[in-house]
Amino acid sequence: MKKLYILGAIVCGLAACKPNIEPKAPERGDADFSRYMAIGSSHTAGIMNRSLYREGQENAYPYMLAEQFRLVGGGEFKQPWIPGEHGWPLGKLMQDMAQGPCDTLPYKAIVPFRGALDTAGAHLNIYSQGPFGNMGIPETKVSDYITAGFANTNRFARRMFNKPATARPVDELLLPEHTFFTLWLGVEDVLNYAAAGGETPPSANNRNLLTSPALFRNAYDSVLTTAIRNGAKGVVLTIPDVLLMPYFRALPARSLDLSLRDANRLNLKYNNTQVHFDVGMNYYLIEDKTAPNGYRQLREGEMIRMDVPHDSIACAGWGWEVPMPSVWVITLDEIQNIRNATANYNDIIYMLAKQYNIPVADVRYFMQTVQKDGTQYNGANYNYEFIQGGFFSLDGRHLTGRGNALIANDIITIINGHYGSSIPYVDVNKYSGIKQP
Amino acid sequence: MKKRFLLIGSLLCSSLAFGQAYQLNMQGMRQLAMGGSGAAIPWDASAIFYNPGALSALENPQVYASMNAVMPRTRYISAPTGTGMQDAEEQVFTPYNVYFATPVGYKTRFTAGFGIYTPFGTGINWGNDWTGRNIVQEMRLNTTFFQPTLAFQVSDEISVGAGFVYATGNFKHTNTMPIINANGDEATRELTGRASGVGFNLGLHIRAAENVQFGITYRSQVNMKIRNGYARFANIPTYITGSYLNTSFESTLPMPQVLTVGAGWDISEWVTLQLEANYTGWAANDSLKFDFDNNTDMLMDESSARRYRNSITLRAGAKFNFRNERWSAMLGTAYVPSPVREGYLSPAMPDAVHFLATGGLSWKLSKRISLIGALEYRIYEVRTGKSTEHGFKGKYHTKWLNPGLAISYDFN
Repeated sequence: MKKLYILGAIVCGLAACKPNIEPKAPERGDADFSRYMAIGSSHTAGIMNRSLYREGQENAYPYMLAEQFRLVGGGEFKQPWIPGEHGWPLGKLMQDMAQGPCDTLPYKAIVPFRGALDTAGAHLNIYSQGPFGNMGIPETKVSDYITAGFANTNRFARRMFNKPATARPVDELLLPEHTFFTLWLGVEDVLNYAAAGGETPPSANNRNLLTSPALFRNAYDSVLTTAIRNGAKGVVLTIPDVLLMPYFRALPARSLDLSLRDANRLNLKYNNTQVHFDVGMNYYLIEDKTAPNGYRQLREGEMIRMDVPHDSIACAGWGWEVPMPSVWVITLDEIQNIRNATANYNDIIYMLAKQYNIPVADVRYFMQTVQKDGTQYNGANYNYEFIQGGFFSLDGRHLTGRGNALIANDIITIINGHYGSSIPYVDVNKYSGIKQP
Repeated sequence: MKKRFLLIGSLLCSSLAFGQAYQLNMQGMRQLAMGGSGAAIPWDASAIFYNPGALSALENPQVYASMNAVMPRTRYISAPTGTGMQDAEEQVFTPYNVYFATPVGYKTRFTAGFGIYTPFGTGINWGNDWTGRNIVQEMRLNTTFFQPTLAFQVSDEISVGAGFVYATGNFKHTNTMPIINANGDEATRELTGRASGVGFNLGLHIRAAENVQFGITYRSQVNMKIRNGYARFANIPTYITGSYLNTSFESTLPMPQVLTVGAGWDISEWVTLQLEANYTGWAANDSLKFDFDNNTDMLMDESSARRYRNSITLRAGAKFNFRNERWSAMLGTAYVPSPVREGYLSPAMPDAVHFLATGGLSWKLSKRISLIGALEYRIYEVRTGKSTEHGFKGKYHTKWLNPGLAISYDFN
């Protein structure tokens, strides 16, 4: 027996029984990946579970790309690290048990991190630690890039800019002497509007208005010409259909569950109006200034924001006893505005990319595929379903680490195709997913 | 004639695309050294496996025992642009065989025997954290067949034999599930179980001329049933532990039927040739099902398509006698297609078409004791493919070295 092993070990030692296939050596192709800069907003910076913290930054797609670029000559890639894991400025969202004043039993809910945040000092300017490869600034719209002194209104920009008081974000992009870039801007130009219920002035905050196509074009052009200066190469990303995100889908328009008693009582209350309730599932009642009496029920295709306060529906009677404030709903008209804006912005992105000969990673199409059919990676399925889908984090708008990794691979496909490089894909299942308590 | 030739050609093409999967083919050391062929010529008591009909040729009672040290080495490279590379853990498997056979009385036409052998088995361990962990971390299957056998000499030329098979085995499969608990650990699943089944082994041996022999054998399919397997789960998030309670499961693992036709020819006093073809009914492995006892909203019965195809293996071997009568040498080769279709290539069993290069020496130590040493080397094709079910692509390469040793003792 033992002799048999020894004999085998001797023969194997001669490498006769070692598999001799080797991975293809990654090649850089026509692009220079030595200094990579990621331009973008929340998704780029690593917002996850509605907040910024270390884990999210480590699971941001630019951080993954930088790691892959290192295989083809990429250099150091700095990120403006947030100290701590609890989130800044708000606590990150988690799954935990919750019980509101109107709940008879506790239920599994999405709740902010409870307790003192460990992100003290996150507001301090850390420009001197740069230059940062990840220039993703959460909550920025394309139009913000040509606004002087923008950092006065954005705390994320304030902590990483050289001249926060006066600079336009596009000026700060000049500082890292990059050779390669990714550019994913424009998502917030629609998402801010959508996630604020599509409100218009005077009720709306200016930051939540749709950007006019002319301004979008002007600002995007400034950012892109800055990105390609000195012959830098890169890739631009399209804007996904934000309305497919779980944030707008998790609470369906027709999910108000009424007992016969409540339905009868409400029908009496709304007697002689268009409002009518049945036993079982109903469309929520919403505020609408254009409707008779200033309220109506939701229509098929309309949406409710996922973060509408649960207590307000249960205790304050939002959506049945009283109309749900319009800031929480996206009506058909608003949906049309969002669709039109997204299409316009993407047209502009395609046009400018073509003009400067920069390839487009159509993440809009990729994310639509994930939403429609799901995608599979090494035995794990990913789709748009909230929580179970594994693609979106608990805020329903920003991605999990694994969702970001799938985006990173979509970008790598385009880079390899356009620049003749052979950068390996990232191992999606290595990154963080949805943690279930 | 031409038409028939075409037909055979197309049969070969359709069923022989890409081995051996979980069939081992090392139930006798001389046979292993001769490319795995052994249906035509009764070499020793291992005929209990290779051809129960040929067992009649045994003149004395004999005890035969052998053991191998199979050392498969498999590497995975993620496709198409992967730097992801994983070497499966270096393991040593030790299939063994024990046979006893004896003529029933003096100058009798009957020969009886009993064999214990391990014809099927496989195992691979990719580690707990590798990229394909959702599909498989470790997989292991081993079988032991017990076969009482009786052979009958019909005439000087023809003898027949039959054996009943009782089989036992063990199965193990571990993998992670894409569920992450609050600590960030992935949920894991382990399936283990004992399997058993019955079958038979028939053989016909024809001594057509002084120096020409034929053998035809049929080994039946053995459905190894796992009646009381155990599914264990770990790292399940607290709020869904009720959906993943440890439970028993049932499953059936088919060990395929094999029809063998072989010929042996003593070319001269010094050289003997063997040729053989095996038709293996791999199509029996159509799907792998797990029927869990306690189904929940998340734990449902599983059926995973395998869709193996039947295969034909071709084998050839030669034996050379030395002038010193105590010694002989063997050489052999075989072409072994893979029953695994494209789209079903799983890291649990990354099978590929391969060739065998085998050799060995036998030494008659004394009038009663013989030793046979053999070495098998398998040359696998590098196979690139995917498991459609899991969305898992890659390139696999296996190298296989298998030394073995047999000892026989004749009561003469």
